[in-house]
This record gives sequence, C-alpha cells and structure tokens, in this order.
Amino acid sequence: MIQHGGFVVFEVRRRRQTKKNITEDLAGYLFMTPTILVMGTFVVLPILYAVYLSLHKVKLLGGIEYDFIGFRNFTRLVDDERVWIALWNTVQYVIIVVPTQTILALILAVTLNSGIRGRNWWRILYFLPTVTSSAVLALIFMWIYNTDGLLNDFLTFLGLPTYNWLGDPQVALKGIMLMNIWSTAPFYMVIYLAALQDIPQTLYEAAELDGANNWQKFIYVTVPLLKPVTFFVIAMGIIGTFQLFDQSYIFSRGTGGPNNSTLTVVLLIYQAVFRNLQIGYASAIAFLLAFLIITISLIQRRFLGSDKPYS
Amino acid sequence: MLKFIGIALTIALSIISCHSLPIPSNYTSSQVVNIKLSGWGASPSEQKLLKQVLQNFETQHPNIQVKYEEISDQYMDVMKTRLIGEAAPDVFYLDALEAPFLMSQGVLEPLEQYITPEFDSSDFEVKLLESFKYKNQIYGFPKDYSTLALFYNKKAFALENLSNPPATWDELRTYSQQLTIERQQDGRISQYGFGEIPELARQVYKIKAFGGQVVDDQGYAAFASEAALKGLQLVIDQYQKDRSSVQKSDVGTNSASEMFGQGKVAMTIEGNWAIPFLNDSFPNLEFATAELPRINDVKGTMVFTVAYVMNKQAKHKAEAWQLISYLTGKEGMEKWTGTGFALPSRKSIAQKLGYNQDILRSALVAGVDYATTWQVGKYPAEIMNNFDNQFISVMLGQQPLKQAMERSQAVANKQIKAME
Amino acid sequence: MTGYSINWKPLLYILLTLYAVVTIIPFLWALSASFKPLSEIVSGQANFLPRNFTFDNYKQIFLQEPLFLRWLFNSIVIAVFVTILNLIFNSMAGYALARLRFSGKRFWFFLILAVLAVPAQVTLIPTFLILKAFGWLNSYQGMIVPSMVNATFIFMMRQFFVNFPKELEEAAALDGLTAFGTFWRIVLPLAKPALAAQAVFVFMGSWNNFLLPVVILFDPEMFTLPLGLNTFKGQYISYWNYIMAASMVFTLPTLAIYAFFNRYFIQSVTFTGGKG
Repeated sequence: MIQHGGFVVFEVRRRRQTKKNITEDLAGYLFMTPTILVMGTFVVLPILYAVYLSLHKVKLLGGIEYDFIGFRNFTRLVDDERVWIALWNTVQYVIIVVPTQTILALILAVTLNSGIRGRNWWRILYFLPTVTSSAVLALIFMWIYNTDGLLNDFLTFLGLPTYNWLGDPQVALKGIMLMNIWSTAPFYMVIYLAALQDIPQTLYEAAELDGANNWQKFIYVTVPLLKPVTFFVIAMGIIGTFQLFDQSYIFSRGTGGPNNSTLTVVLLIYQAVFRNLQIGYASAIAFLLAFLIITISLIQRRFLGSDKPYS
Repeated sequence: MLKFIGIALTIALSIISCHSLPIPSNYTSSQVVNIKLSGWGASPSEQKLLKQVLQNFETQHPNIQVKYEEISDQYMDVMKTRLIGEAAPDVFYLDALEAPFLMSQGVLEPLEQYITPEFDSSDFEVKLLESFKYKNQIYGFPKDYSTLALFYNKKAFALENLSNPPATWDELRTYSQQLTIERQQDGRISQYGFGEIPELARQVYKIKAFGGQVVDDQGYAAFASEAALKGLQLVIDQYQKDRSSVQKSDVGTNSASEMFGQGKVAMTIEGNWAIPFLNDSFPNLEFATAELPRINDVKGTMVFTVAYVMNKQAKHKAEAWQLISYLTGKEGMEKWTGTGFALPSRKSIAQKLGYNQDILRSALVAGVDYATTWQVGKYPAEIMNNFDNQFISVMLGQQPLKQAMERSQAVANKQIKAME
Repeated sequence: MTGYSINWKPLLYILLTLYAVVTIIPFLWALSASFKPLSEIVSGQANFLPRNFTFDNYKQIFLQEPLFLRWLFNSIVIAVFVTILNLIFNSMAGYALARLRFSGKRFWFFLILAVLAVPAQVTLIPTFLILKAFGWLNSYQGMIVPSMVNATFIFMMRQFFVNFPKELEEAAALDGLTAFGTFWRIVLPLAKPALAAQAVFVFMGSWNNFLLPVVILFDPEMFTLPLGLNTFKGQYISYWNYIMAASMVFTLPTLAIYAFFNRYFIQSVTFTGGKG
C-alpha cells in the first residue's frame, strides 16, 4: 500500500493533498511501529502502572494488595526531609556537571578533529572511562580517593590541601562529580565528533575567504551547526545527571551517606522500593523527579531555541 | 554486513536450541525432585566448600538434585523481587537482621512440623534460634554465626610492655593512648591505638551496657535515650578527645581488618571472618583475640547469624526440608564449619571441633552467651541508615551527640510510622 | 580543516598528554592490581609494578570457573542482537520524527522524551512482572526484547537527521523511491558516523547492563558476564584481586568495539557527493 503511495503522491501532488497526508501518515507510523510496540509494553505500561501505584499504599510481599490513598504519598514526600536533601544534592550535581561536561566534550572533540597527529590513539584513550562500566570505575575511584591514595598524594605534591574524599560529607559529592565529568564527557565527545564530520568543508573555506580566523570559524560556523547536537547533549546531560544512581550507590554502599551527602533522588527511590518495599511512595517521588526533568528540559529548549541550525 | 548478521543469527540460534535440549539423567523426571537453593557470593574457597557439602547431600539423597543459584549482588533486593514475582528459590539464606520483616509477611514456611527427634533442635544455641522465631513459630535454622572479639597486635603490645589485653573499656582507652605513636619523623601518627567502626551494627552492645535499647517493644527507634547516649558517648570521646582511635577511611583503608593488618591500628574489634583474611593477606602479623572489654561492668558483644529458610510457595516442601535438615544437621554443619570460615551454631559440633579451645576463636565462642543479636525489628534499614548518617556527623564534630541522635530517632520513627 | 597556528601546537600536545595521563592512570592501577595477589593489594603499597606477579586471578576466572565461556557467549549474543535491532529501529523512528510528516508526530516525540525522565528503578518491578506474565524470565528474549528500542538513541538519530539537506529526499522521490527506499538506500548510508556512535553505545549499554539481568536471570547458565564476574564480592570482605581481573576482562571487548568503529568518525563522508 505504501509502495504505490510514494510513487503516486509526487505525480499528483497538486491534485490530492489529503491522499498525500494519509500516505505520509502511514509511512510515518510504519517507521514508528516497532518503537511504539516495544516502548509501549516495556516502558509506557510500567510507567502507567507506576502512576497507579503512586496513588496507593501497596503491599507487595505475600500477595499484592492496593489501598487507595489518593495524594497522601505526595503530601508525605513534601514532609520528608530526606526528599529535599536528595533534591538539593541532585540539583547541585546537575548545575555543576552538565555545563562542565558539555564544554569539555566540545573542546575535546574539536581538538581531536583538528588534524593533530595520532588522533585515533587519543580518541581511543580518552574513551576508556566511558567504555568501562560505572561499577568498575566506581571501584577504581574508591581506591584513588582513599585518604592515602593517588589523588591526595598528587595534591600534596602540588602543595594543595588534601581531603577525606570518601568520609567527609562536604566533599563526597564533589568527588563523585569529578569522577562523572571525567567518565561521561568522552561519551558526548564521541557524539560531537560524529556531528563534526557532517559539517561541510565548504562552509569553512567560505568563512576563510571572508577573512575569519580559527576562533571566528569556531564561533560562527561550528557552534551554530552543532546546535541540534548540543541540544541533545545538554538534554541528555540533564536527564542523566538528575538520574544519578550507580556511583552514589557504590560509594556509599547504598546508604547515601556520609550524612546523606551522596543521597540522590534515584537512590532514595531505590531505597524506598527495595529496602522498604514502599513502591507507592517511590513512584510518587519518581514522578516528582520526572516532572522536574521535563520542566527543566522545556526551559532549556526555549533557551537554546529551536533545534534547526539557523532559524 | 548482511553476511555478518546471517552468521550471528546462525550462531545464536544454535546456542539457543542447544540450551533447550533436555539433560539426560538416570531417573525419570517423576522420580527426581529439583530443589533450588540461593545464597550470596563468597570467596572461591568457600564456594567450593559449599559445593562439596551439596554433593554429599545429593549422594545421600539420590532422588533430590540441588541447583545452587548464587545472587551475586544486592542479595535482599533481588530476593524480595523474586518473592514478589513468585519466582523465589525453595531454600535460601536469610540474615537475622532481615528476618523479622520477612517472617511477618507470611512468605516463609514454618518449620515446626518437619522437625524430627534425630534433628535435635535443642542442640542449637538458644539465642541464635530465637532470632528466627516469630509468634512462637520457627522459620529457619541458623547455619553458622560470628561474634565480635577484640583483636590486638601482640608485637605492638610488647613494644609498650603491655602483656594482657584490656579487660574494661577504660583500660582500652588508656591502652589506646599508649599505643598511639608516631614512629616516623614527619609528625604523622603511624599507629593509632584503636580502629573504630561507627556503624550501629558494631555499637549496639555499648547502648545495652547502660540499659539502653535500639528499638522499643513497638519497634520504634529508642537509641536517643539517656542510657543509650552514655554508651555512644564513649566512642565519640575516644575519637575526638583522646584522639586515639580512627575510622577506616581516615587511614586510607576499606575495612577494620585492613587497618589492623596494615599495622595502622594496634587494636580493633572484628568478627570470625577476619581470621582467615588476616592469615592469608598478612601472614607476618602476630595477633591475638580476646573477649570484648567490659563496659559499665557488663560483658557484651554482638552476634551475627544467618539461617536457611524455606519459601512458603516451595513445591516440594518435604525435599526442601531434607536439604535444610542436612545443611543444619550435625553432619552437614560439621563439614561446613570444619575449616574455620564460620562458627557452628550447634553446641555439639562446637564441642567436637574444639573451637572453644582454639587459640584465636575461643574469645569469639565465649561471646555467644552474653551477646546481643544484631536484629532491630521489622525496619532495619530506617534504623540503621538514620543512625549511621547522623553518628558520622557527630564523629566529625559537626553536631553534638544528643541533638544528632534525637534528630535521627525522630526521622526514623516518622518513616516507620508511615509504613505501618 | 587546517590546523591551529604553529604557536599553539606544543601547548596543545602537552595538554592532551596530561589529560591522557590522568585518564590512563586509574586503568593502569586496575590492570596492575589484577596481577597481584589479594595480600599485596590490601597491604596498602602504592606500587604499579606487582611485586608478586601472578596469573592466578585470571586463571580463577578463565579456567576454574566452568561457566565463563557460557557467560561470554550470553553477553555477546544478547549485545549483538540488541545492537543490530536498535540500529534499525531507532534510526527508523528517528528518521520518521525528523523528516516525515505524520499526524501526532509532536506527541510521539514528546512521549519519547518524557519516558526518558522516569528512572529505571521505578519500572523495574513492573517490568519484572510483565516479563513473568509472558513467560520470558530467565531467557534471551527477556533480555533482548525490552531493550531493542531505546529512547535516548531515537532522540539522537532524530537530531542527526534534522540536519540533512532537504534535497536528498526530493532527489530520491524523483528517482521513484518510496519513503522506506529513501531511508534504506540513501539516508542510512550517509548517517554512518551517527550509526557508528549508536552501535558503540548500545553495545556498551547492553554489555555493561547489570540491573535488569540481576533481577530476571536466575540460572547461572543464563548469566551475562557482569553478573557472573560479580560473584567475588564477599559479604564482609571484597576480593579486589578477582574483582580487578574480572573488570579488565569485561572492559576490553567494548574498547575493541570502539576502536573498530572509530574509523567512521574520521571525515570520510562529505555532502559534496552528488550534485550539491
């Protein structure tokens, strides 16, 4: 059906507007079908179920029972100081990590794309942290962050003060931030690298003819053309950082300590689900988080403008 | 590209089809019963030992096959998920800490009805068995245990002319001060007297020593009482005022045993698991153990224990019981605890294996009589997390003890209330 | 692209080298720890060259663990299938969202973004229950099907396709190609860098995935590699030597895949192909 649609459409373009719309619709939906099916079952359905759960007090073990309590889960979370601590920790984390890792990724990508020697080796090397699973990285870093470990030795060497990275509540989160920027920036670097391949040489040549130097070429050609990808990098960055879990779980052995300093919202959700089997409450917190992420992403979209390069 | 996909598909299909081929056995399927057992991961040697014990069981019971499925991480989280999804194993490990909650949910099979006289359930240490009783029903039999004992470095002691381990907590503090020395010129202390672990699991006996409790009869947190604070204050004072104790992260280590093994502290309080670890990793270390010093003239220590329990929805309960009764029976327990990884929960086996005379383990064994079980009601996570969080900040001098404990007690109780 | 002016080059190389050194040190340590016995690791010495060099840790993993090859197979099979399916389906959806016009497009895009905002921990138990209802627990399909489409990469592909010149489709239509034909024959080949990036990340994600397998796989024979190798975390003591050896073993394949796909990130495709 679609086959002849594409054919026919362009020949009768002026005469059959509605037919074109239907066939384009069909094409669109056919392309989307696997996605809709799989995501519908394994993502949307669980989420809808979680919405249902957030309005109930749920007994899971020994027979599933639901006790409708309306919005009480939500009022409870407003009252729960750990939710606010977790939120504050997470927000701090997002504000620092997202800009830093984006800029770092962009700089690395542009540098590695600029025709320096041995760039393949650099790319492989820099990608090492991303390729390693976060569990392994966290373990390695627990050793480096040791009070007698590499980082403190290095700081002493430079004459800088040392910290108890793992035990002091005031620096524990910063330790995780450092580790994460280092390990996630390469992921975005690779994406930027791929995007840089798609920028036509001709644009740079034209800019040079207009007398632009390297910095101007970067600002006026590269950055604007990377806008759609930057939107992706920042949006994913926000989502990823708001959902920080692995490292804070491993560093704090699931407690969110010392003194709740590494407690992130998702860790709190995890604790509520698994430690306390409070899946209704956990779902409520999860929706608070989702709401926050969506709001911030929308704001970000407004800021960065539309995702077409020149608009 | 397509060729590659084709090859990958072929390989995958052949693997999948091989996997679904039935495994031939000597018995027809109606005769052999399959029992699933789950536990957490441990050292390769312990796993080998467990496999051997299971093989012995299978030899004695040819109609039962045991499938051991290890849950390598987040054991309780995975176990709870499986229990919810009705896909849990027939028999599994349950730590005393997590037992009250699970027992109250009606997912475990009461074992009273399966006990036979030969099983000799009175042979178990009463305290350990009590941890797995709920509303007068028994839900599990302890497979082993460990208490806490004082580990001290004999060489460090000798250098300070100390011959006997401290008998009271005051003596321990005095010793610690003596044993905190700087051996190098750079002014950094190279050895501290005592290695402290500020977790609730290691502090309960101090609370008890002054008559305090961690939880009250209703299961609510009660560790901010005057009596409890007296016990906890001892830890804070030693860390902040005497400056003769350190935490594991202060000296760049991951555990008390590591601190002790590396010689960074001269004394620490650890359990039975530390002995094989220290022997293997620090063979040159000369150490000894002793019962914990008396606090407020009261002897105290902690005991940690794990039991085998049966899933209420197990399909072959009789066979599952055979497995449990073997593993916690005299023969199975003797094999399991024979190499010193864990201490036997049966009095007769403890006698037989002579642990009460073992030079390093006698202190641990002696502790069972007066130990406090590490079990704090149905909501251990709330109690522990809130306590640990705030206690750390007190240690670091960020808050006074009373305020921190009252705060964490209030938060814990608020959370518990919301769950009731 | 001409390089930067000569004055910057040495400084650039120094900075790059510094960053490379910082990056590689943690891995060098983990690598060296994987050849040390446990006693040397916990003794607190900071030496990079093992004093008691030993292959024992690897021997334990490869030779003494009978299921190692099986775990490797499982991880490979699952990762390969997931990657191929993702490449196809995500790109299709991304293309549709970027270039095709169909009613409800905005809604679907928003939905895809919105689901990204909900963390996996909350959907874990419902997913487990759904898989149980299908009878897909402890199976390859249980591991592959829920992961064969990924919102993140649909999003990413969409952003890539948005930048493509409109002329492409118009030329294809003039040649009589359908939407699908355009997609398969013209657009996809031009998206090689994006596809390569996607392949690497999806493979990595599947390879390193721990949360889903630990919950739905029971049979040790069905374990994926991260699950199998995680058995060395004891209750009270961690066996760092085995953990580090295991970490090396399962990091290397993803690194190899990345190195393989890296060639696609080199500027080899330009838009001057055809009459631009």
